[in-house]
Amino acid sequence: MTTGGEAGEVARLISYIALLAVSAGLFLEARTIPTSRFEVLGAGAFPMLVHGVLILLLLSAIAGSIRMLPAEAYGRFIAQIGHWARAKRLVFVVFGCLGVYLFTMPVIGYPIATFAFLLVLQITFAPKTRKAIGIAIALALIFSFGLNWLFAEVFNVFLPRGR
Amino acid sequence: MDAFLNGAAEVLSPTTLLMMFFGSFAGIVAAAIPGFTVTMAIVLTLPLTFAMEPLQGISLMLSVYVGGYTGGLISAALLGIPGTPSSVATTFDAFPMARKGEPGRALSLGVWASFFGTIISTIVLIFAAPPLAIFAVKLGPWEYFALIVFALTIVASLVGDSLQRGLIAAMIGLVISTVGTDPMMGRPRFDMGFELLAAGLPFLVVLIGIFAISQLASEVEDVDAVKSGEKLIHGEIEFKTWAVMREVLMRPVNLIRSSLIGVAIGALPGAGGSIANLVAYDQAKRASKTPEAFGTGTPDGVVASEAGNSATAGGGLIPLIALGIPGSAVDAILMASLMVHGISIGPRLIMDNADLVYGMFIAMAVSSLMMLFICIVSMRGFLRVAEVPKWVVVPVVLVCCVVGSFALNNRVTDMYLLGFIGLFGYALKALDYPLAPLVLGVILGPIAETNLRRALMTDSDWTLFFTRPVSLIFLVAAVLSVGWAIRRIIKSRKQMNPTKDAV
Repeated sequence: MTTGGEAGEVARLISYIALLAVSAGLFLEARTIPTSRFEVLGAGAFPMLVHGVLILLLLSAIAGSIRMLPAEAYGRFIAQIGHWARAKRLVFVVFGCLGVYLFTMPVIGYPIATFAFLLVLQITFAPKTRKAIGIAIALALIFSFGLNWLFAEVFNVFLPRGR
Repeated sequence: MDAFLNGAAEVLSPTTLLMMFFGSFAGIVAAAIPGFTVTMAIVLTLPLTFAMEPLQGISLMLSVYVGGYTGGLISAALLGIPGTPSSVATTFDAFPMARKGEPGRALSLGVWASFFGTIISTIVLIFAAPPLAIFAVKLGPWEYFALIVFALTIVASLVGDSLQRGLIAAMIGLVISTVGTDPMMGRPRFDMGFELLAAGLPFLVVLIGIFAISQLASEVEDVDAVKSGEKLIHGEIEFKTWAVMREVLMRPVNLIRSSLIGVAIGALPGAGGSIANLVAYDQAKRASKTPEAFGTGTPDGVVASEAGNSATAGGGLIPLIALGIPGSAVDAILMASLMVHGISIGPRLIMDNADLVYGMFIAMAVSSLMMLFICIVSMRGFLRVAEVPKWVVVPVVLVCCVVGSFALNNRVTDMYLLGFIGLFGYALKALDYPLAPLVLGVILGPIAETNLRRALMTDSDWTLFFTRPVSLIFLVAAVLSVGWAIRRIIKSRKQMNPTKDAV
């Protein structure tokens, strides 16, 4: 197994364990859902069945990953995850901007939040030329104020206006 | 006959035709942009259909679907990058043909093969869906539950590299579907006291988050590719419309065989265009007198791949219309667009809403004609869309996704949900979990639960799942599909490590 493949397998192992913890918790909660007198199965039976199968699959996946990974792979993982995060930095920028955009939209309204979001993201990604910046500004205006107008006037859907 | 005429009248009305024209156009443009999939194009079309009549809305979406399958060909032939997973095999021959100085012929071959593939699949759909639906009405909850188990196992085993992760993804989808009120008695479940979760997770928001947001985030993984914004197309294109049509029709066996492969694979839940194009290409190569020419720019390779992937559009509608089981993510979105209008999908669809179903058949045929017309008239112009850089596509489409999920219920909380689901979807994608089984799990979960509980309310005997013949057949098929996938994995491992085998 390559070192990149090893890091991926360690990350998957962590995901299996996290999913297992969530699934086991929900399985226990499903047991507390009361059954109905009108049917054999209650509202908790199907979730228990699903979580039961999921737990079995996750346990087998965990066993498979542990068997596959050499002991030193865990030590190398931290360094590799740092390298991976640096290589994928733009993905973090996208999710960071999206988070700020979604949480500020109800406060400042759709047009302003969208204009700022599009402008920041496009300028971050675009080559630094005058033409690219001009296109970015035009698109930000069209998809913020323009789209807001289109939805309100044509579709009668009012996007968040802000407080 | 009345239902057929009603359906035809609605599809052929000027407004619907105009919508479909724009839909085909948008589908071709969207799929031609590398990184913008057919699924994403359909997801973004969905909110626009809310205000339309059901048939008008689904006709629009079908036109985007048919256009999208063809659009994937553009970047496959000219750039060697499959615009969609369904055009992977197209790159094998269309790209070398384009590099040899015949880009127009490569595109034209693909467009004509797509057109004939869609028409052949529509004919099969018209004949296969009604009898299957009549049979499906006779199925009880035992058979339905077994069918869904089969659908989920086959999706999990066909999509992605790992059966285990496919099954885990399908189970995560089922887990998501259990959040909110239960489908039989309306009892609240797993809402953790959050109002946001009390009504359950709206599956359209899940769909947009899982497919579109995660895909867009993966598009910006390569920092250099995003920042370069380089142009990729050079040179002139000559389309040679009629000469190439004759060239395609001169290969009737390849065309019909590839289309029927596409229909059969499309009808299997989970398979779809991404597999059909490779199988059709492989079969064409095996049957060819000159297999060594494949991969060097032979027209047979382009015809096989494009007829195969386009024919899955009609094939995929067979289980959707006849059984209410969406076979792929795109079919799931089509199903959602009808459910938004209060139309329940299942075997009774063809009996209760025959005009709608016949309208869908007609819309498929009309969509392929429109796609052909648009491609012939304006292919040269389309080629410019493949130049749209990622720094424009990603932010703008993200905004469209946010607007789409807000417009669904006018709820701000749906936008937050979209953000969380998108992040979760990206994490799963980065960890190599297939996403299609997850989304199908979300959609099929309530149907599976309702049928399981209904079966046991009717008769508390569990063994009926194994003693009723049709139910048993589906359960055996589910076990076989898992067994077949395990065999395939073991075989590929042996091929990769032949030395280990000898030890």
